[in-house]
Amino acid sequence: MKITTQNKSKSFAVDTTITLTEEQISRDLYPQKFGIRGKIWTAILIAICLIGAYAYYLQLKEGLVVTHMRDYVSWGIYISNFVFFVAISLVGSLITAIFRLSNVRWSTPLTRIAEIIAVSAIVFASIIIVVDMGRPERFLNLFLHGRIQSPIMWDVIVIGTYFFISLLLLYLPLMPDLRILNRDPKKNPRFLNWLYHIGGSFWKGTKEQFRVSNRAITILCIVIIPVAFCIHTVTSWLFATTYRPGWDSTNFGAYFVSGAFLVGAGGVVVAMYIFRKSYNLEKYITVLHFEKMGRIVVLLALLYLYFNVNEYLVPAFKMKKPEEQHLTQLFAGEFAPVFWFAILIGMIIPIFILIFKKGRKPLPMFIAGIMIVIGAWFKRYLIVTPTLLHPFLPMNDVPESYKHYFPSWQEWAIAMGSLAGALLIITFFARVYPIIPMQETINEENEKAEPL
Amino acid sequence: MLLTAFIISSAAHTQDSLAKQPLLDVNYFSYNNNIPYVQVMARLKQGRKFEPVKGVILKVYLDSISPSLLMTEKGVTDETGKADAAMPPSLQKEWNASAKHTFIAEASGVKEFEGEKALMEITKAKLLMDTATGSETKNIIVTLVALEDGKWTPVKDADMKIMIKRLGGDLTVGDEANYTTDSSGTVTAEFKRDSIPGDANGNIVLIAKVEDNDNYGNLSLEKTAKWGAPLAYHSALYERSLFATRDKAPIWLLFMAYFIIGIVWGTLIYLVFQIFKIKKLGKQAV
Repeated sequence: MKITTQNKSKSFAVDTTITLTEEQISRDLYPQKFGIRGKIWTAILIAICLIGAYAYYLQLKEGLVVTHMRDYVSWGIYISNFVFFVAISLVGSLITAIFRLSNVRWSTPLTRIAEIIAVSAIVFASIIIVVDMGRPERFLNLFLHGRIQSPIMWDVIVIGTYFFISLLLLYLPLMPDLRILNRDPKKNPRFLNWLYHIGGSFWKGTKEQFRVSNRAITILCIVIIPVAFCIHTVTSWLFATTYRPGWDSTNFGAYFVSGAFLVGAGGVVVAMYIFRKSYNLEKYITVLHFEKMGRIVVLLALLYLYFNVNEYLVPAFKMKKPEEQHLTQLFAGEFAPVFWFAILIGMIIPIFILIFKKGRKPLPMFIAGIMIVIGAWFKRYLIVTPTLLHPFLPMNDVPESYKHYFPSWQEWAIAMGSLAGALLIITFFARVYPIIPMQETINEENEKAEPL
Repeated sequence: MLLTAFIISSAAHTQDSLAKQPLLDVNYFSYNNNIPYVQVMARLKQGRKFEPVKGVILKVYLDSISPSLLMTEKGVTDETGKADAAMPPSLQKEWNASAKHTFIAEASGVKEFEGEKALMEITKAKLLMDTATGSETKNIIVTLVALEDGKWTPVKDADMKIMIKRLGGDLTVGDEANYTTDSSGTVTAEFKRDSIPGDANGNIVLIAKVEDNDNYGNLSLEKTAKWGAPLAYHSALYERSLFATRDKAPIWLLFMAYFIIGIVWGTLIYLVFQIFKIKKLGKQAV
């Protein structure tokens, strides 16, 4: 079967004619063995994870004393990392659910990338929160003695729910692809054959199966949107329900959700570029995808900037005495370099890159995406830590070291290990499963080829 | 040359002013006319700064340096630079024998304080407190008496404070905080805080204090008076609220939370069954 695909857009002046057959799509999108670069990349990630695991072993052995968290700063980079992971996981709902329900067809090649980012991020959000506990076995107490009145309990419930929904949303569209992967067992290692067989041997591609599956996916897309909003709103409430300078804000829910959409979309752009380059997917993740994602990212960056202006300008205008020290430290004090770095790198510069058409080409988009993700990580650090250094009632007679915070090497190792772990999940997933939905791409190509 | 001499002398002067000077102070305390105790404070003075010194070992004697008059042998200052020494029962006879006593503290254990001594001389004194309730006024009458020639004699022109003891600190009973005894050694303070909350029975604690008196040290006396408003304590801990224990969560919250959880997880369970349905359809298609 021969399919002709035309991506034509007058406004973007992009005109590409690609001829794709079903066999070619299957061949192009089939999971590939790691090349030398893939092996080096995986080895580096595993090494970082192992260093993180060793640091965590030390923390388990010695206790939280190996960190630099003390009576003032009890939430350091672990919690910053947690908020970052929760934020980036929101992208699953944006790309998959919102676009699918809006009938945005061009997003098909990006859905699985978005979903695996969501799953890996939410897994490590859960792990890092346990790492933050000095006694991880006490996590069980949350279920035995948890109070439904506590936002922490809401967070546990909503994270668990979001994780489950994300897994379903990853798995359901994967089933037709598993049938393709099951076709020729000789092409796959034995373990992968077993995995494909367990996951999708029952998928025969019948009309009824497609009907049930599509309906389930639509229901999931509807459910995931409010749950995704809840996950980050509840995370923001962990802070906003506490009366402290910098956290005492009614703006926090919307501020967190808008920031989460931005970092998630930035993460997808980075992943799009890397997968496109690594697996030669130029025919599937086209310049047009970057163009459209660029427009979305610039909109999200402007939206997040708007919430930042609300979050900082309004309290700064009033400069209430208890908040003065906190705000001054951010604008011109100890945290000013990180604050302005996060604002510039995470929002302003990407906006200036992406607002121009030339900036929405793959490479500038990739650079802007990296900036957004790095800026977002530091932004979470700024949300969590400086507030803790400026309590309304300062403690008496604490050692001077308690009044400052810089993470210990164990904290850095664990935090970086968790980031590497999330990337490792994405890397292994791309090795095992097609990173672009095969069957869906074939179906869409078929639909386009059919005469109207 | 003059300039050099000036610089050298200035530098020497600065060094002198920055040299750490040990300060050892002895203070006498009598609380509710009970067994007295002394508190020794060790500080280092540097310029205008006073730094408390921890770990100074102290021997405190009554009247003279003699092993038989030792109040404490191993008093050690804490992080605030303070160490207490109570009057031991073994020195009761010596304590009762005279109206005037001297407390001597001898320091060791820290280099700057090695061999340092300090003493304080006091005359035994005590406070007496009475309350008088009139038709419109309530008064607190406090008398300061000192032991002279075996008799308790009123002390005139002595400063004292009369306050109400509260959790966060002491509160004045009226407009004034400080009072001075008259020729009969007495102070009368009018109580002007009728609406102040007391305990469940309306009891409040009045306190009279003589502080850092050169002759009598620190004296304080407390007395309970039923002059406060009875406080009916209402605990919301056992009511359903957002801050209550887990079994006392508000009904509306329980309803909302479980309703949402039920709807979402009900849908998810339904979707899991859809996967089984797809599996079944696959088997039927074979």
